[in-house]
This record gives sequence, structure tokens and C-alpha cells, in this order.
Amino acid sequence: MGVLMRRNAIVILMCVELMLNAVNLLLVAFSTLYGDSDAQIFVFFIMVVAAAEVSIGLAIIVLMYRKVQSVDINILNRLKN
Amino acid sequence: MIQNIWLVPLFPLIGFLIAGLGRKQLGNAAGWIASAAVLASFIVSVMIFFEVSAEGFKSIDVHLYDFIKVGKLDIAFEFRVDQLSSLFLLIITGIGFLIHIYSIGYMKGDVGFGKYFAFLNLFIFSMLLLVLGSNFIIMFIGWEGVGLCSYLLIGFWYHKKEYSVAARKAFVMNRIGDLGFLIGMFLIFAKVGTLDFQTLETLSFKGVIAEPGYLTAIAFCFFVGAMGKSAQIPLFTWLPDAMAGPTPVSALIHAATMVTAGIYMITRAHFIFSFSETAQTFILIIGLTTALVSATIAIRQNDIKKVLAYSTVSQLGFMFMALGVGAYTTAVFHVLTHAFFKALLFLGSGSVIHAMSNEQDIRLMGGLKSKMPITHSTFLIGCLAIAGIPPLSGFFSKDEIMMNLFIHGTYGKVFWVLGMIAALLTAYYMFRLYFITFLGEFRGGDKLKSHLHESPALMTMPLIVLAILAAAGGFLGIPEVFAHDAHWLHNFLTPVIEKSLALEPTIHHLSHSAEYIMMAVAVSVAIIGILLAWGSYKKFDAKKENKGIEKFFEDKWHWDEAYENAFQKPFMKMSAFAEKNIERKGIDGGVNGIGKLVEFASDKLRLLQNGSVGVYLFLMVLGMILLFIIQLLSNG
Amino acid sequence: MGGMLGIVAAAILGVVMMFVGLISQKSSVIRIAGVACFLILVGVTAFDFSAIHEQGTQLYFNNMLSVGIKASWFNVLISACAFIYILIFNNHITKVGKNDAEYFALMLFIMVGVFMLSTYNHLLILFIGIEILSIPQYILAGSDKENIKSNEASLKYFLMGAFSTGILLMGITLIYGSVGSFEIGNIATAFQGEVTALPMIGVILLIIAFGFKVSAAPMHWWTADVYDGTPTAITPFMATIVKVAAFIGFINLFHGAFGNIHYSWKLTIAILICVTLFIGNITAVFQQSVKRMLAYSSIAQAGFMLFAVFALNDTAEKSIIYYGVSYTLASIGVFAVLIKLKDYTYEGFNGLGKSHPLYAITATVCLLSLAGIPVTSGFFAKYFVLTAAMEQGLWLGIIVFAVLMAAISIYYYFRVIRAMYFTSSTEEITIESNPMEQILLVINAVLVVLLGLFPQFILG
Repeated sequence: MGVLMRRNAIVILMCVELMLNAVNLLLVAFSTLYGDSDAQIFVFFIMVVAAAEVSIGLAIIVLMYRKVQSVDINILNRLKN
Repeated sequence: MIQNIWLVPLFPLIGFLIAGLGRKQLGNAAGWIASAAVLASFIVSVMIFFEVSAEGFKSIDVHLYDFIKVGKLDIAFEFRVDQLSSLFLLIITGIGFLIHIYSIGYMKGDVGFGKYFAFLNLFIFSMLLLVLGSNFIIMFIGWEGVGLCSYLLIGFWYHKKEYSVAARKAFVMNRIGDLGFLIGMFLIFAKVGTLDFQTLETLSFKGVIAEPGYLTAIAFCFFVGAMGKSAQIPLFTWLPDAMAGPTPVSALIHAATMVTAGIYMITRAHFIFSFSETAQTFILIIGLTTALVSATIAIRQNDIKKVLAYSTVSQLGFMFMALGVGAYTTAVFHVLTHAFFKALLFLGSGSVIHAMSNEQDIRLMGGLKSKMPITHSTFLIGCLAIAGIPPLSGFFSKDEIMMNLFIHGTYGKVFWVLGMIAALLTAYYMFRLYFITFLGEFRGGDKLKSHLHESPALMTMPLIVLAILAAAGGFLGIPEVFAHDAHWLHNFLTPVIEKSLALEPTIHHLSHSAEYIMMAVAVSVAIIGILLAWGSYKKFDAKKENKGIEKFFEDKWHWDEAYENAFQKPFMKMSAFAEKNIERKGIDGGVNGIGKLVEFASDKLRLLQNGSVGVYLFLMVLGMILLFIIQLLSNG
Repeated sequence: MGGMLGIVAAAILGVVMMFVGLISQKSSVIRIAGVACFLILVGVTAFDFSAIHEQGTQLYFNNMLSVGIKASWFNVLISACAFIYILIFNNHITKVGKNDAEYFALMLFIMVGVFMLSTYNHLLILFIGIEILSIPQYILAGSDKENIKSNEASLKYFLMGAFSTGILLMGITLIYGSVGSFEIGNIATAFQGEVTALPMIGVILLIIAFGFKVSAAPMHWWTADVYDGTPTAITPFMATIVKVAAFIGFINLFHGAFGNIHYSWKLTIAILICVTLFIGNITAVFQQSVKRMLAYSSIAQAGFMLFAVFALNDTAEKSIIYYGVSYTLASIGVFAVLIKLKDYTYEGFNGLGKSHPLYAITATVCLLSLAGIPVTSGFFAKYFVLTAAMEQGLWLGIIVFAVLMAAISIYYYFRVIRAMYFTSSTEEITIESNPMEQILLVINAVLVVLLGLFPQFILG
């Protein structure tokens, strides 16, 4: 819901991270259920990839901030229709 | 030679490449090279034709290479050589060659000379592909190629905006037809898993596609395709507009070849149409309506090419009537004769337009008889042929169509009467055109008058050749009554459609005397049409329609007035009605309306994309939820 | 080792490319290095293909990768397409921003993701593949740092992409939760007959996540804005090679893992197809900018490619490769001409046929292919996917709908052709043309036609 409601790009990013964490938790839970370590390894990969994604994302947001002095996503409407 | 059939389409393709790539360097030579390419294919076609007409010839599929082979889909790049395709090869390359030659004279000095011939050759190539293809896919490639070339050639003089609009209209109408073709193809494939004509024919007569509803659906889809290409109601409005292109193009594409593609396709797919009576009746009715409506419109046109264009639509209607009653050979016969006389008429009109410095309004012409003797006499032959005066070619083919209509089912006689009316109108509008253009006084002013001249030999030679063909072409199909078993064309084509013929009644049911009577009726109808036209237009005055009633009385033709009230006015009204309501409002309106609707929807949908990520995410989630609901409903 | 050399090579070459950027600042050196890298990639994948051709399907890393003959053939074709793209666009890419070498490097990394998507046999590789595919794209979209539109495209793409990653992972997790394994083969054996709600939700989530990557409606919202904002030199890469790779990933997963429960998600895909075709085609009609029109048309083309996922048979697998290649080549051809123009509206194309006939004719061939006019490969591509769907049984409705929509698409493709040939320009179009590029464009156009005449080359 956070992704849908917030207008601040950084907060949206945080909400996406929350989604990923939910997945991580679920994976770990399933992993114990099946007694299978594959899922735990998967979790590590998700963490790594999420970290990479966040670093890129923050860079993009900083770039944007320099241009428009705001992180409000609703300002982004030059491309439309 | 038959194994070398691939040479036939290859020559125009090479011609296209040479004329297209070297159009700057070649100059006028491009025209000669293009013509030579078509001549070469014509020679090969003649050789093939002789082999095909040998006794006991069976159709051959010439396999070039495996085109597509995936899963169940197995399509070979094959050419089918049989009586039907070899006949069409002759028409296309033969008339195509004459028109190429004529074009060299006609297009002299045009900026796009090389480009024009490149397009023309590409057109011939596509048409040959269409005719030769041994399955629906190859045929469809040609089918689309032909439409594309027509688009390019109609819009050839694109600096005039209306011309490019006409080109687009032609393309859209053709595309609507193509949709039908495509869907028909998918339907067949879904049912039997093949698109090869030979296999399909065998399967069809074994009754594999026998469900009547399904078969009718297929036949209907293909007929929509034919309607688009062969300009039948309601997809016919593009053809008159297509007259925007250079006149030889109108002769080649919009009279002799491309528009007959629909007829060819239905004849080729006779194994589908013969089984569906509903579809056949539908074709018959569409053909009849088209023949009548466009004939009435033709009466009132003042543009020489428009008259011919509507006349083409009307004649195509006649051909479809023949198909509708299952008389495939008759339809092909009319295609053949029509190709002769209509190409002749169009080239004749081109010659007139050339002399008139591109003026197409017949009200400004008149008295051209003395100035352009060759054009005049050949044009007269064309008019007589199309009106159906014996022994010119049009008489034989039209008479055969009428005969077939007459014996068709319960309502055959009604169809016959309506067909006769269309024939009457044909004679009337053609001779109206003839009288106004060639007889009387010249009305175009002195400046134009000094300009008038007979066209160069390059243009008149094709006219003469075509005139001879138009005059004599009818003897390919002499009716049974005159001489037994003399209908050469019928005998020639029989192997192709043998199996379908068994399903249809033949002309032999009619007694000889009845046949003679019908011929007499047909001829007298044609003569009445000509006389009516003579009465109204012998002394045509362009200003008359506006004001010149007093002058009209001085002419002592008192009966002219009565005449006008009795015949001319109702004809004119009918014509105006047909043009205004059926063509402009009904069909154009419908097509434009759909276009408007699409644009409207597009405009509204565009606004959803408002640039805000928040909205996008929201809409995306909304879509996801809907998908979930649908999925759960369908599974639960 | 033959089979996965492509992945290794792409990764190494990417790193090499970054070093080239360190060593030299000259754009000519970088361009040559970039072209060379992609050429090597084609060679390596071809070598892979011949190795696989001899040895049969190879498995790597505990069955995480499975390189079959189809996958490696696809790798060869897609790297060839990428090579053609780089050849035509290399000097445009170096004009985008300051860090020339990195753009080539990022594209090479994307190729790693592409190869992973075509060969994965384990959901972990699928996830990593998709991420390797996506993350460089976020950067590439924003590579024109000075241009605010480019920044905006990048941020939009990133926000929505990250969201779809979450969905993808949730889908994977739910599948794992009901099967207990990430391996494609195990999932396929577990899913037979009736399915319960839990994995079903997982399947739909995966459809949505992939739908996002291939820009299927209603997950297509990012497409137009991102393609529009991204520098024109980069857009064709994203719109073609990446999209096709995502489709291969899509069909691999759904054929391999969920093929046995095809009935349960068939309807969903059918609906996606209809919505995608409708929105893509109808919205494209009203666009004023050709670049944006191409973005919408790529949505419409995705609708057609979805037919392969819908059909899910042997013909479909081959036809999607064919469709991908034909669509890629045609799009590259159109973009290559578009990038030459200053004005991206339809008016910008006015009179191009007269002033630059060669560019106009190659663009025309490619547009005809996109519109699906016979003899060009585009027609057969459409024809194949539809026949594949036909084999699925009588879903005639959507096929008729698709054919209708294809007819609408003619309208906007021909608008460009009409502008080029049938209208004259008020102002002179100036295009700097070099013979090398012209030759490439001609080769590209000829390929488009040749593939139409000999489709067996790709399908065989």
C-alpha cells in the first residue's frame, strides 16, 4: 500500500524494500517447513540484488533532485499522453 | 518449359530491380527495360500455354523450395500450372506488355518515369505470384503485393492531396477485404491443417469440410476478400477514386488485372464455394446489386475516367453474378473479354486525355472523331463490345452470363430481367460517353482545339492490337447453339473445375429456340440503349443542363423534351440518388465513421497516460486485481 | 564447457569494456572496442551452438542452467541482432553522454541477463537474470544526465520496475511454498491436474511480473514514457532485444514449469492479449511523435508475441524466436532513420522520400514488416504466432480480433510512409549521412525481406 499512497520517491523505495523483506521472511519460513536450504540461499541473493537496486535507485533519485529540487513523484509529468 | 515456370515472375522482378535502382541513370531506357522484362515473361507464358493446351494435360505443381516447415504447418513455395493459371498468365503478361509500351509514350517527360516503371513491374510480379501460387499463402503474398502496388501507383502524383487520399482509401478498403481473406485462411487451416489447393480440393470433395455452417463461414470470409479487391458493394468506392493514378495504371490495374483477382480466387477455390449455396446466393445478390447501382451512377459522371471506372465496377458485378450461379468458366470468359475491351477503352481515354492536355471533363470535349481517327475507331469498337453487339466479344460473354442466370433456380428469371436492365444501362452510358466525346462540336475552346492531335504510334499501336482482340475475343467461346462443342474456353478450363461442374446445371437444358430468343432480346436491349443515348446526346450541349432551354426548342427536336422526361430525367435521378445516398453517405460514411470512432477512442485512452507514476501504479494494481478476480471466477 | 561460454564471455567483455573506458577517452577507440566485443560475442555464441549441436543439451551448476539446442540458437540470433544494432548505432551511443564505454559495458551486462533468461532451469537464475537485465536498463534510460526527460524516464522505470521485482519474488516464493523446489522440472511434475489456490496465485503473480517486463497491458504504463524519455540511441535496444529476451524467459517458464496446467491460466493470457492489442494499437493512432507511436506499437507487437505464450506448443516456441528476430530488425531499421531526424513528429518525415531516398526506402521496408505486409518477415511472424494459437483449438474470437487490430496498425505505420513519400517538406531536411551506415541499413532491410522469403533459416 505504501507504494501506492506515498508521493515521496524515497519512501516508495523503502516500501518496495519492505515488500522484498516480506518475501524473504516467507522464504525462510518455507525453508524450515521443507527442511531445504535452497530458499535460504535465495534470500541471500535477494538481499544482494536489493542492495544493488537500491544503490542505483538512490543515485537516480539524487540526479532527479538536483534537477527539480524535489523528490515528489507527481512532479514527474513531462512525459505523458 | 513448365519446370521453368519461375522464369515468368522472375523477369518482372529483375525489371523492377533494374528500373528501380537505376532510375536516375537509365532515363527513358527504364521504360524499355521494363517492357522487355514483361515481354520475356509473355513469351515464356505462351510457351507454357502451348504445353498446357496439349491433349490430356494434368495440372502440375512446380516445387521451388520448402517455404515453411514448423509443427503442423507445412507450406511449400510451389507454383501451380494448369489451364486456369496459364490463361491468366497470358492475360497479365500480354495486356501488361501492351500497357507498358503505351506507357512509354504516355509518361514521357514525367519526373517519376523510372519509378513508375519500377512500380509497374513490381505489380506484374505480384500479380503473377497471386495467379501462380499453389496454396493460399503464396496467393496471399501476391494479393497483398498487388494492393500495395496499387496504393503506390494511385498516389503516384502525390503532390495533389486528393490523390494521396484516394490512395489511402484504396488501401484501407483493400485491407478490409484482406482481413476476410486472412480469417478465411485461418478457418481452413484450423479445420484441415493445410492450405494447398490440390489437397484441399481432394479433401473437400471427400466431404471433410462438410459442415455447412463452417463452410459457409469460410466462403463468406473469402468473398469479403474478393469484394475488397474486386470492388463490390460495399467496398467499391475506392475504385472510382483510384482513377487518380496515371491512365495506363487504371487500364492495367483497375480494369484488366488486379480487380479480377477476386474472380480468380473464387474460381480457384471453387471447391469451397460450390458447396455453400448460401454463399453463392449472397455472391449473386451482391453482384447484381453492384452491377445495377454502379451502372446508374455511371450515367451521370462527366469525368471520362470515372464513367469507365463505374462501368468496370458494374462489369465486375456481372462476373460475380456468373460466379454466384456456379458458372466459373463463364466468369473467366467475361474476365477475358472485359480485359480486352476495358483496357482498350481506358487506353483510348488516355489517348483522349493526352490530346486534351490532361483535361478529363467530357463536357469540354466533342467532335474528336475527325481529329483522332484511330482513337475514335478503336474506342467505338470498345463501346460496341461492352454494349454487347454481336459479333464483338462482349456479346458472347455477357450473353452466356444471362443464359446462366435465366436457368438458375426459381428466381432465375427475375435475376435475368434485372441483369438485362443493367445491360441496358451499360449500353446507354457507354454511348452517352461516346457521343459526347467524339461527335458534335468541340467545346473546349480555341486554345485546346489547336492543340488536338492524334497520339504517337507508341500509344496507338496497343490500341489497335487491343481493338482486334476486343472484336475477335468472343470467338473463344462460341455458344453451343451456333456450333456443337465449339466453346473452346469452356473445354479448355473444364479439367480445373470438373468436379464442381458436376454439381451445377448446364446451359444445355435450354432449347435452341429459347436461346435464340434470348440472344435477340439481349441484342435489342443493347440497341435500345444505344438509341436512347443517341436521342439524348446526339446534339449534346454542355450548357443545356444549366440554362439553354430556349436554344433547345430552336433545335426542332420537340420529342427530345418528352424524351428527356421519359428516360433521361429518371435515369439522372436514379443516378444521383445512387451516388449521393449509397456511395457517399452509406459507404463512405460508414468507413469514415469507424475511423472517427478509432480516433475518438485513441484520444480518450491517451489521456489515461497522464505522466504520473502514482496513477500508473494504481492502474496497474487495479488491473492485477481484475486479473485475479477473473482467474478465480474462471477456476472456481 | 561449450554451452555457457556466452554468459562468461559477455560478463568478461563487459568488464573489459569498462577498462577500455579507463584507458582511452577517445570515442573512436571505444566504438571500435564496443563493436569488437559484440562481434566476439556472436562468435562465442556460435561456438556454443556448434558444441551443443554435437553434445546435446548440457546442464550446469546443479541443474541450474540447461542449455538446449533451441536456447543456444536463440542466443546466436539475439547476439547477432545486438551486433547489428551496435554496428548501426555505435556513433549515436557515444553522443548520448560522457561515459561512452560504460554504455557498451552495460549493454554487455544486459546480454548476460539475456543469456540467463534463455537458459535458466532454476527460479533463482530466472530472478538474477531478470535483475541483471533490468538494473543496467535503469541506468541506460537515464544516461543522458543533462536531459530532464531522460532522468524522469529513468526514475519512472526504476520505481515501477522495483515494484514488479517485488511481485516476481512473491510469485516465486508462493510457487516454492507449494512445491518445495525451485527447479523447473520438479515444479512441472508437482503441477498436474487440479491446482490449489496458493500456487495459482503464484502463477498469476508471475504472469503479472513478466507482463510488466514485456509491457503487456495493464502493466504497460511505463512503456511509452520510458521509451520516449530514453535517449533515442538506447531505446531500440530496450524495445527490442531486452523485450524479446523477456519473452523467451516468459515462454520458457510457462512451457517448462506450468505447461501441464495450461488450461488454468490460458484465459488470463487471452485477456492480456486482447487488452494489450487494444490499448497498444488504439493509443498509437493518436500519437503525434513517431517515437511515442513506436513505443505504443511495441506494446501492440508484444500483444502478438503473447500469442506464443498462449499457444504453448512447438510451433509457438519457434515462432516466438522468429517473431523476435523479425521485430528486432525492423524496429532497429526504423529507429536508425528516426534518430537522424531532428523533429520526431510525423511532419519531421515529410519529403524524406525525395531528399534521402535510401533512408526512406529502408524505413519503408521496416515499417511494412512491422505492419505485417507479406513478403517481409513481419507478415510471417504474425502468421506463425496466429497459426500456433490456432493449433490450440478454436479460440477464433481473439484471432479475429488480432487480425482486426493488425489492420488498425496499418493506419499509423502508413502515416509515416505517407509523410515520407506523399507530402513535401517546407524546409530542407539535413541529414549527415555516411556510406557505411547506408550500407548497413540496406543490409538490414534486405535481411527483413530475406527472412520473409526464407523463414526456414530461423525455424529450421
